Amino acid sequence: MNRRNFLLSSAGTLTACRARRPRLNVFNWSDYIAPDTVPKFEAEFGVEVRYGTYESNEEMLARVLSGNSGWDVVFPTDYIVAPMLANALLARLDHALLPNLIHVEARFQQPEWDPTLTWSVPYMVVAAGIAYNRTLSPAPRSWSDLWDNRLRGRLTMLDDPFDTLGVCLKKLGLSINTSVPGELRRAEAEALRQKSLVRAYLNAEVRDQLVSGDVLAAHMWNTTAQQAIDSSPNVGFVYPTEGYAVYPDCAVVLRESKRPDLAHRFLDFLLRPEIAAANALAARTTTTNGGARTLFPPLFRDNPTLYPAADVLARGEWARTVEPAAQRIRDRIWTEIKSA
Amino acid sequence: MKRLRAWFLAPTWVTMLALFAAPLLIICAYSLETRGVYGGVSLPWTIESYQRLADPIYLAILWRSFWIAGISTVLCLLLGFPLALFISRSGRRKHLYLSLVILPFWTSFLVRTYAWMFLLRDTGLINAALQALGLIHDPIPLLYNDGAVILGLVYGYLPFTVLPLYATLERLDSSLIEAAADLGARPLTVLGRVIVPLCAPAIRAGAILVFIPCLGTYLTSDLLGGGKSVMIGNLIQNQFTTARDWPFGSAISLTLMAMVLALLIAFVRRDREGLL
Amino acid sequence: MNRPGRTLSIYAIAVYLFLHLPLLILATFSFNATRLSVWQGFSLHWYSAAFQSSELVEAAWNSLLIAIAATLVSTFIGTLCAYGLWKRASTWLSDSLYLSLVTPEIVTGISLLAFYQWIFRFLRLPLGMHTVILAHISFSVAYVVIVVMARLRTLDAQLEEAALDLGANEWQAFRHVTLPVIFPAVAAAALLAFTVSFDDYVITSLVAGVDSETLPMAIYAIARRGVNPEVNAISAIIVVGLGVLILVSERLRAS
Repeated sequence: MNRRNFLLSSAGTLTACRARRPRLNVFNWSDYIAPDTVPKFEAEFGVEVRYGTYESNEEMLARVLSGNSGWDVVFPTDYIVAPMLANALLARLDHALLPNLIHVEARFQQPEWDPTLTWSVPYMVVAAGIAYNRTLSPAPRSWSDLWDNRLRGRLTMLDDPFDTLGVCLKKLGLSINTSVPGELRRAEAEALRQKSLVRAYLNAEVRDQLVSGDVLAAHMWNTTAQQAIDSSPNVGFVYPTEGYAVYPDCAVVLRESKRPDLAHRFLDFLLRPEIAAANALAARTTTTNGGARTLFPPLFRDNPTLYPAADVLARGEWARTVEPAAQRIRDRIWTEIKSA
Repeated sequence: MKRLRAWFLAPTWVTMLALFAAPLLIICAYSLETRGVYGGVSLPWTIESYQRLADPIYLAILWRSFWIAGISTVLCLLLGFPLALFISRSGRRKHLYLSLVILPFWTSFLVRTYAWMFLLRDTGLINAALQALGLIHDPIPLLYNDGAVILGLVYGYLPFTVLPLYATLERLDSSLIEAAADLGARPLTVLGRVIVPLCAPAIRAGAILVFIPCLGTYLTSDLLGGGKSVMIGNLIQNQFTTARDWPFGSAISLTLMAMVLALLIAFVRRDREGLL
Repeated sequence: MNRPGRTLSIYAIAVYLFLHLPLLILATFSFNATRLSVWQGFSLHWYSAAFQSSELVEAAWNSLLIAIAATLVSTFIGTLCAYGLWKRASTWLSDSLYLSLVTPEIVTGISLLAFYQWIFRFLRLPLGMHTVILAHISFSVAYVVIVVMARLRTLDAQLEEAALDLGANEWQAFRHVTLPVIFPAVAAAALLAFTVSFDDYVITSLVAGVDSETLPMAIYAIARRGVNPEVNAISAIIVVGLGVLILVSERLRAS
């Protein structure tokens, strides 16, 4: 009995021993920050940051829903903010501690999901489009190109119900946020028609296969596509003509946090233009920080994948929280598509 | 005798009650509640989640899961038995060989799965080798289908058959085997008529240890199946994550558990000893 | 028949190759100069990167600690339980052990998470190493019981009876007669419990706290983004490290 207790308590003490300086626990998407941002913050404020990562909102939510996960700052996508608010998970933001909020781009200053920015601070934006291998000629230009038979077995779609249904809805000229059952069913019919062409439903993993040519066209987020383009000239990315989904990610402070002041300082630190610029450059993402954009090297600032022209931007549609009734239909439809 | 036995069983009782029964009761409660507005659970109480289950699409998913899990289990037993036999007859090197079976599983399951994805891809090693040998012209799609999923499952659960079989074979009463041989039985007959029946409890143990997790798997079917086919594990996982419909997920889980438990009881109560 | 025949040996070699092929691939590409899937030259770059990756090293350490703790406890509990059940069956306990096997991992994970939330309201504890270790114990016990039971069933009950006749009490009979005989099965069960614990992703990811990221969690996060040979490197290190441990224990056992 004694040896077991010893092992258990030593495991506990080991973890406790690490807490010397004030600690901040930050939970973010993977590859979503510059490598030196956290060390810089630690050095400037004399604190220690534990930085964890996740791959999906649901993963983050599952941990945080309890209310005692131990995290201080997390980064939900915009449509998750409402559910988090409904479950009383968020701390009210004190703008007095966030002077750098002014650097946020104009179009994100009063976002749909949080018009007064009381609960969240915009961070990065992700959009979904078509990434393709340049051996594919002519290159795809619209979502309907992904229903082309020449892509049979060489096409992947995102393993995400909202994204994939969104593509079908856009192809039909409908809104990605619709709750109308008839429209959703029509989108389902499209997805079922496409399924025989689809090699697999994959997210970031498909990057390597796109580069190697196993896959000719992939429904992909622009950040992943940019990473693929960075590693190979064979890859191109296009924002389809019918329009596309846009997902702003934001930073929030959890209500359970015992260090809200420090959390606010971290958010403010992220909002500094030079820090935001470094993050966007390292993570290959689109920043919501206007000040950062002026600091970019020209090649990055005009990068068509991450910073497309105004007319392309206009085609984007922001993702919204799905209503519970619609969620059930969408979920059912996704099951039907996947098990067909 | 009774007191000693009570002490021996006590720790397990405590573990089961605190870490299994109590959590399970919570899941039971969840299955009878309603989905919260944005996820999680809330009142009122309802059996709606169970009613939703009686739908052909979910039955089809269940059937498919049983099918894939069944094939994987049979393959694991067929592959594992000769290996366990080999190890049990290896004299001094037994433990080494046994550890060699386990060793791959001390890397992460995910890493091994990715290694298989790497091997099975169109541009992967297996296709490259087949093409180099001139056996095929174009790469064959080895990945993202049921075959790949079964391969992944068999690979992942092989030690679960090898270990119990080895544990039994290792101490098989050799006098029984010698007696059979003395009576004129050939090695294969000895195998089929003497050794295998003596291993029946271990075979059952191995089968259970493989079939159940295979049934509820979702990572393997997700990664190697390319997300194109839904097994019951994927369905459950989806309810607890993307759909955030915990009541429905709980209902599916409890139904699955009830079904498998019924199977187990029927399967195992045939002999008086049972598995546990 | 005390030595394996030739067919059996050839078969065993084939199966071992099958089991270790992915490992060999991993190891080979951990030395690849680039992260692409084509061999580009020999390099130890990924090993230094892996060691410098505090995320991976810490996760590996956590995984080992958790697996060792969970294995010791669950093997101890499970062996006693198997023995007790062998003496006289208990339908309730057997059925609940069955059930714990039958439960899909995601359900075990969610239910444990919910359970922890509930009692932590009174105990004011966060999720952490302790919650993971307890979770691992809870699902490992059934495995141990099954493996040890399978062995006990083939045990001659007269051994213990003889010991009792000679004046030993029940505990002595168990400790000095039965236990040594079934020890290989207990060791096999412990190996299985260690494997199951070290490898677990689903349940661990749900009940882990801020400080208790395990290796599968770290690898899942990294590998999800595509090929990263750092993962290969750390996996190779673990396998070699544990392999050496086994060889050493074999030498000790043989001497």
